[in-house]
Amino acid sequence: MIVKIARKEFTEMLRDGRFRWAAAIVFALLLASLVMGGKHYRDVKRQHDLAQAETRDQWLRQPAKNPHSAAHYGIYAFKPKLLPAMLDRGVDPFVGQSVWLEAHKQNEFKFKPAQDATAVQRFGELTAATVLQLLIPLLIILLSFSAFAGEREQGTLRQLLSLGVRKTDLVWGKALGVSGALALLIVPATIVGVVALAMVSDNGLLGASAGRMAWLFVSYLLYFGVFIGVSLAVSAWAKSSQMALVVLLAFWIVNGLIAPRAVADAAKRVHPTPSAFAFQQTMDREMQSGPDGHDTADKRAEALKQKVLKQYGVDKLEALPVNFAGISLQEGEEHSNVVFDKHYSELWNRFERQNRLKQLAGAVAPMLAIQSVSMSLAGTDFAHHRNFATAAESYRRFLVKKMNDDMTFNAGKEDFSYLAKPALWQTVEDFRYDAPSASWALSQQTISLALLTLWCLAALTFAAVTTAKMRVD
Amino acid sequence: MLTRIMRHEWRSLVADRTLWIIAPLFALLIGYGVYNGTSWVSFQRSTLDAAQQEERDRFAKAKAEVASIEQGGQPASAFANPRLPSVAAGRTAPRYALLPPAPLAALSVGQSDLYPYYFKVSSQSKQTFTTNDEIENPTNLLAGRFDLAFVIIYLYPLLILALSYNLLSIEREQGTLQMMMSQPVSLRTFVTGKIGLRALVVLALAAGFSLAGFLLGGVSLNAEGAWLRLLLWIGIVAGYGAFWFALAVAVNAFGKSSATNAMALAGLWLVFVLPIPSLLNVAVTTIYPVPSRVEMVQATRRASAEATAKGSQLLSKYLEDHPELTAGNQADPNDFVTRSLAIQSETERLIQPVIDHFDRQVLGQQSLVDRFRFLSPAIVTQAALNDIAGTSVARYRHFLSLVDEFHKQWRGHFTPRIVQKALLSASDYDRFPSFSFGEEPTGVVAKRVLAGLFGLLIPALVIGWLSLRALRRYQLAG
Repeated sequence: MIVKIARKEFTEMLRDGRFRWAAAIVFALLLASLVMGGKHYRDVKRQHDLAQAETRDQWLRQPAKNPHSAAHYGIYAFKPKLLPAMLDRGVDPFVGQSVWLEAHKQNEFKFKPAQDATAVQRFGELTAATVLQLLIPLLIILLSFSAFAGEREQGTLRQLLSLGVRKTDLVWGKALGVSGALALLIVPATIVGVVALAMVSDNGLLGASAGRMAWLFVSYLLYFGVFIGVSLAVSAWAKSSQMALVVLLAFWIVNGLIAPRAVADAAKRVHPTPSAFAFQQTMDREMQSGPDGHDTADKRAEALKQKVLKQYGVDKLEALPVNFAGISLQEGEEHSNVVFDKHYSELWNRFERQNRLKQLAGAVAPMLAIQSVSMSLAGTDFAHHRNFATAAESYRRFLVKKMNDDMTFNAGKEDFSYLAKPALWQTVEDFRYDAPSASWALSQQTISLALLTLWCLAALTFAAVTTAKMRVD
Repeated sequence: MLTRIMRHEWRSLVADRTLWIIAPLFALLIGYGVYNGTSWVSFQRSTLDAAQQEERDRFAKAKAEVASIEQGGQPASAFANPRLPSVAAGRTAPRYALLPPAPLAALSVGQSDLYPYYFKVSSQSKQTFTTNDEIENPTNLLAGRFDLAFVIIYLYPLLILALSYNLLSIEREQGTLQMMMSQPVSLRTFVTGKIGLRALVVLALAAGFSLAGFLLGGVSLNAEGAWLRLLLWIGIVAGYGAFWFALAVAVNAFGKSSATNAMALAGLWLVFVLPIPSLLNVAVTTIYPVPSRVEMVQATRRASAEATAKGSQLLSKYLEDHPELTAGNQADPNDFVTRSLAIQSETERLIQPVIDHFDRQVLGQQSLVDRFRFLSPAIVTQAALNDIAGTSVARYRHFLSLVDEFHKQWRGHFTPRIVQKALLSASDYDRFPSFSFGEEPTGVVAKRVLAGLFGLLIPALVIGWLSLRALRRYQLAG
């Protein structure tokens, strides 16, 4: 029975000109966004690969120079993109794409791509994620708002039930019918998507992101399930199909438009972040005088001097077998690293607490849950950015320490006029970054995934319950 | 007759639930929007205050140190003697260039959350001090702010459509339209009356709630140009509303059912706020692709390496090109500071074409958007509201050009003193150039906004006129 109903619904939808048009538009937009996403991914990847090789080359080709100058010259780290990023650009337009790794400073990522775009971009970018998160739910609503309300208005509902069709069969049949129509859209789009991915990916990359892609697929199915359930439930519950439509559109607007912004602003209020100015000022102050304000630079220098003299058992700096400038530079690094760690981790924890609040708000608007999951699996959320920033920062510390150590052990009495041979640059291994695994991404998203599953189950149950109790005319 | 229709409509609107649900909801949304906008403005203001305070403290400290050195004291650090012009220009005396929020900034956060609103201008190259972005969770930037502009651009059309999607269709479905048309009144007058009243109510709600929000949020209307900007704002809101009312009449004129009307209008709304803007964005970024800044980073590195390699050869050329710097005296060719100046100047010369390329591409995108924004009233309104609020890229570019001038003035003041190795006195610290922001002339802003207003009113009038004509063929019973 369920299959029969589903087939009838399916055929009816295919014959409906409105559905054909809407589906064609959505499909075209989805294809366009896949193609553009693929191109964007390829361009960015090529640029970043080239730049990463060039910055390494520049580092290696430095002439003989003082190691500390080399540390000041530093190296750049360019953020790599994961393959699924072509589906969801996430926060990438709003974070800098590269960071300068140099002595003394943990720099910010500079140059957000959005700064080089016009205000039109703020309406939202056309990516596969936008189509999947906003347009397909709207299509589902259009397909199913009149499922029960329409039949009731035409009087066919009474007829149908008089034939002995069970209400539960009716609701599952209708759900299946909508899903079938949707599959006509999703299946070819998925095939195109996989082909596009295969085309832009280098060998092996596709396999490496298979886990992420599979989870993305499942999450979006859950999200569509929410809309199928809610639409059928509202259609059974509403007095007229017009009312069902208005209620569903209101739900769509609150979910897709109002909730993300309203929650972003609310999260900012609950977990406020400092201004860049205050942030820098506090760090500068602590860099000068230590986190407690008593550990001034002079005192630290004196303490270090005494410590080193004692360690080598000599009574003046001139008698040291090592270069004190190198030791003192490294001590300065260690000191500022403590300050950086404290403040950056506090700031980034705040961002993550804001994001967690957004995940929780997924209980009100499933959009917030799927957005979070989708960005995370695409590797374009803040957590992935932070992961890269942390890796880049530890490479910076490694590189700077290597330079300072060379100064300490090889500069002798020459201090800053000592020149290290270019062979030293070779001893610093290249910066390698392995993006976190799919399971790491999923572990960040337990709240969102749980809420998405709950939403889907609740919506389908809700549909079954309201249909069982629905009025016949 | 018209007033009688409007009076009757008013009575039925008041009796209907819709308005009583929508109006408080709308007030709430506007209130939240204004609240978020005003908090952002006061956040910016307090940051600017903190920056000014830091500058005053730094100057006081430097002056005290200079005075003590003049008395025969020692500088605190040999590398940072504040009497040296190079130290003053780059370390102890850089001044802030501040971009204060415009009078109605609380209206729209616009692009102001993407660009810095103060720079610490020093003698170093501009790239070193123009990238101090404000701290913001990128996830929030992606979502966008819930400000008044958001309410106006996205939700206000929905309010209008909720009140008018079934303007005629419901009368027909209830059978009241035939009854009405048996009276001596034309369908056009009837529709005009119905729409006119709704327009008045909606505009009164939008303007009234926002004004109340502004006043409660502490927006001052005493600032120069504030009243004109407020008028423009009301004009844009009215124009944007007129477009959506006209569209509602047009869809009703097709004589379809209320449900179909609702679907059609929701679809149109979606097309104007989502696919058109994002496709326009795709088009402009394809026609004027902005290369990744990664390329600029690399070009800067190459240029600086090249300039450093040329070293002393560069210095003599630099001094030859700028005879005014040495004022006839011989400059020391081995001087580190002068040599750095020469290298810096050469690096900047080398990367200028790369920077210009970025600017050209971004400007190209902007000019295309300016031309094709008329494809969607939502884009027109966004641009106009950002202009009125002073959170558009245009105002930011204006600020950048002032900063550019100031940066040149700053270098012009210090470079000769650095090359001539002058020693600064405490009173010299009072004579350093300082930055003051001059607002873009209100006339220029008004011109841009008025173009937008016409871009809203003309389609509204055309659609309205066409649909009133189409009403002649309207089937009263269906």
